[in-house]
Amino acid sequence: MNHLVIFIRFSVFILILFALLILLYIVSRRVYQQVKDKRFRRRYLQIEEELLNALSATEPESAALLAEKYAKYPKVLTKLLFDYAKVLIGPERDRLKIIFRIALEKKSTRDLSSRRTMRRLQATRLFGFFFDPLKMDFMLKLLNDKPIVRLAAVQAISQLPSAEALSIVFRAFEADSCPNVHSYTSVIFSLGGRAEGYIRETLKNPISLEKIALLIELVGAIPIRSLCQDILPFAGHAEKEIRIKVARALGGLLIPDSVPVLIRMASDEAWEVQAQAIKSLGKLKSPEALDILAGSFYSKNWHVRFNARAGLMNLGEAGVKRLEEIAQQTRDGYAAAMAAMALHDIYLSSESMSS
Amino acid sequence: MIQVLIHLFNIFSYLVLVYFLLLNGFYIFFIVLSLFGISHYRHRTEYIRIEEIFLSPLAKPISIIAPAHNEENSIIENVRNLLSLEYPQYEVIVVNDGSTDSTLEKLIEAFDLKKTQWVFRKVVDSKPVRGIYVCPRNPKLIVVDKVNGKKSDAMNAGLNISHYPLFCAIDSDCLLDRDSLLKVVRPFLEDPERTVGVGGIVRLINGCETKSGQITRIRLPRNFLARFQTLEYFRAFLGGRIGMSLIKGLLIISGAFGVFRKDVVLKCGGYRPASIGEDLDLVVRLRKYLHEQKIPYAIHFLPDAICWTEVPETFQALGRQRNRWHRGLIEAFLHNRRMIFNPRYGLTGLFAMPFYLIFELFGPLIELLGYAFFIPCLFLRLVNYPFAFTFFLLSIALGTLLSIAALLLEEFSLRRFSRISDVLLMALFCILENFFYRQYLALVRGKAFLDYLNGKSEWGAMDKKGFAKEIPSP
Repeated sequence: MNHLVIFIRFSVFILILFALLILLYIVSRRVYQQVKDKRFRRRYLQIEEELLNALSATEPESAALLAEKYAKYPKVLTKLLFDYAKVLIGPERDRLKIIFRIALEKKSTRDLSSRRTMRRLQATRLFGFFFDPLKMDFMLKLLNDKPIVRLAAVQAISQLPSAEALSIVFRAFEADSCPNVHSYTSVIFSLGGRAEGYIRETLKNPISLEKIALLIELVGAIPIRSLCQDILPFAGHAEKEIRIKVARALGGLLIPDSVPVLIRMASDEAWEVQAQAIKSLGKLKSPEALDILAGSFYSKNWHVRFNARAGLMNLGEAGVKRLEEIAQQTRDGYAAAMAAMALHDIYLSSESMSS
Repeated sequence: MIQVLIHLFNIFSYLVLVYFLLLNGFYIFFIVLSLFGISHYRHRTEYIRIEEIFLSPLAKPISIIAPAHNEENSIIENVRNLLSLEYPQYEVIVVNDGSTDSTLEKLIEAFDLKKTQWVFRKVVDSKPVRGIYVCPRNPKLIVVDKVNGKKSDAMNAGLNISHYPLFCAIDSDCLLDRDSLLKVVRPFLEDPERTVGVGGIVRLINGCETKSGQITRIRLPRNFLARFQTLEYFRAFLGGRIGMSLIKGLLIISGAFGVFRKDVVLKCGGYRPASIGEDLDLVVRLRKYLHEQKIPYAIHFLPDAICWTEVPETFQALGRQRNRWHRGLIEAFLHNRRMIFNPRYGLTGLFAMPFYLIFELFGPLIELLGYAFFIPCLFLRLVNYPFAFTFFLLSIALGTLLSIAALLLEEFSLRRFSRISDVLLMALFCILENFFYRQYLALVRGKAFLDYLNGKSEWGAMDKKGFAKEIPSP
């Protein structure tokens, strides 16, 4: 027992010492951080003031002078360039590029081969804003890096206006075995109409269902109306998830020609597809859809009924008339109550608008 | 006889020592794990632009469900806070769970609510709905007035009314940071197929200043009990939950702030109306269902999606709250007992549930048993005083070290208390909480076993001050 007591007492001493050391570390880190933050902020404001002058100056050399003057503060400059590159385009962005080339390019190039992922990531992001399209080779190497760096590289490449760059982005997307849906969505969504040809080609290739679904969803979200014919064949896809995406995308494209397809999809075997098709028909506000929308009020599925209600509410006077008919019928009390609710909502919103 | 007692005492002492070392060993392990987790998370998210999520076409709409029972002091601030969140598309469903105060009247007056003929589908069981109110000027807000049930019942009513594929469970005495929803939804965007639930961190609003439903100044609580709870929340969220999340064994997403996929929750039957600890119960049942169906899934905890909550400032209210939490734990474990030590449920069955069972559920009982055993031994002069004193010192030193390590986690994650004096004050409370506060909590948690056996199922009022009193609007 005595040995145990001695051992425990020794442990207590070590634990107290350790706790004190942690506390000391926290306090000293706090002091250090506060001093560092204050200094960083002061320098940031100082450089920012000169940067604003350089951006508005008539002679472009002022940017070069600023870069040379503050090259010894790479962290502050990096932060400043990040903050301004997000909001500036055109000639102002070119001046930031000059600062980057003079003050940060060498360091960032070194960082691209750093062992630390975060350094590589930061450098990749920075190059994303400022790299020279002619020197794309080093960016391509990053496509084999860890997913987080790879995505930053894809994002950087996607900023370039060249066809080659876009082809690289889509090749990377096709090759990615475990795509980060959010990141690829951001990248492809930001391409807008430029992605048209690539989405068309990629949809023809043998890619995973997840990727097909993402591309179809983006066609509707961007939206790229010229791709309507390319996604219509997927309306009969065996996989329910794909059909849902097609129905949703058609609601985003708002092409009247797609109404017959959506009407067909409104009778799909899966209620999720029906619900989405009904929702898209409601968005299209097509009089052709009146019957199917009114009919869907009696669907077995609540989601389908709910979307039909929203659809009829969108259809103006004709929709209200149908809602009144449904509210007055007695064979389906639930549908009647739902229609009454829709009419009440229309009344409430018109009352609110008039007041 | 005395010899037998001495023998028993020695055996018990060693058992308690082993239990104590194991428990603290696990806590240290989780804190170390969390240190790496926080550091990795911070680096990973450093360059993520939240506004990208706002603009993402894939950001799924969210139904925020906030059950409210007698919340007249804080409900208006809370709803204002919820209506001012940054998120592309969401609705706020406030469920007035049979309040006996003027919660509903205040809501109707403040937001100019109109009673509507709402038709909804009853997918999960809940007590009857008396009326549904909408705000014509702000269609995002829906108020449901229903007969009083438990929180789980109110959540079910909210689920029945909700429209969107994700729902956010939130307490109506909480405030969210403006970008909390954007942060918490990220895992659903990155991995939409597998992610079923994401929890955010809960922090204390006591002592902070608020204005129009937003935190304007973060300060340490002035109340002693609230300060102890600040430390507890650091340990629980930054230590325990991050650690558990990293080893894929997270069993609780706090009822104060968690986002779930509605389809999966509905497949599990929604919230169990009888459950007292509905947050733990839901996550455990989700894991059970997904394991049984062999569906790959992920449940995450994010340390930077913040929800601010008001904690009890009196011993009575704290006792009631902890007693209820512990009854909830007992009830959830009894209900899902088949999962414990069951390899069919993977790490959840083999590690997470046994860990909670042995160290969280039985922890207070073992602690109380230790005190109960110690007192007669003191009279019978069976106590080895040097050993007892040393053991007492060890428990204080370990408790203090764990709390200070939690302060370190806070330093690495959010560093919301800006003053060094706050850190030093909290360090003092790291020592003080070992005297009386912890013993009090063990007592009320231990009493929860008796209350549970006696069939006590009431919620227990908290005597909330409300945010409006923290700072008067000019």
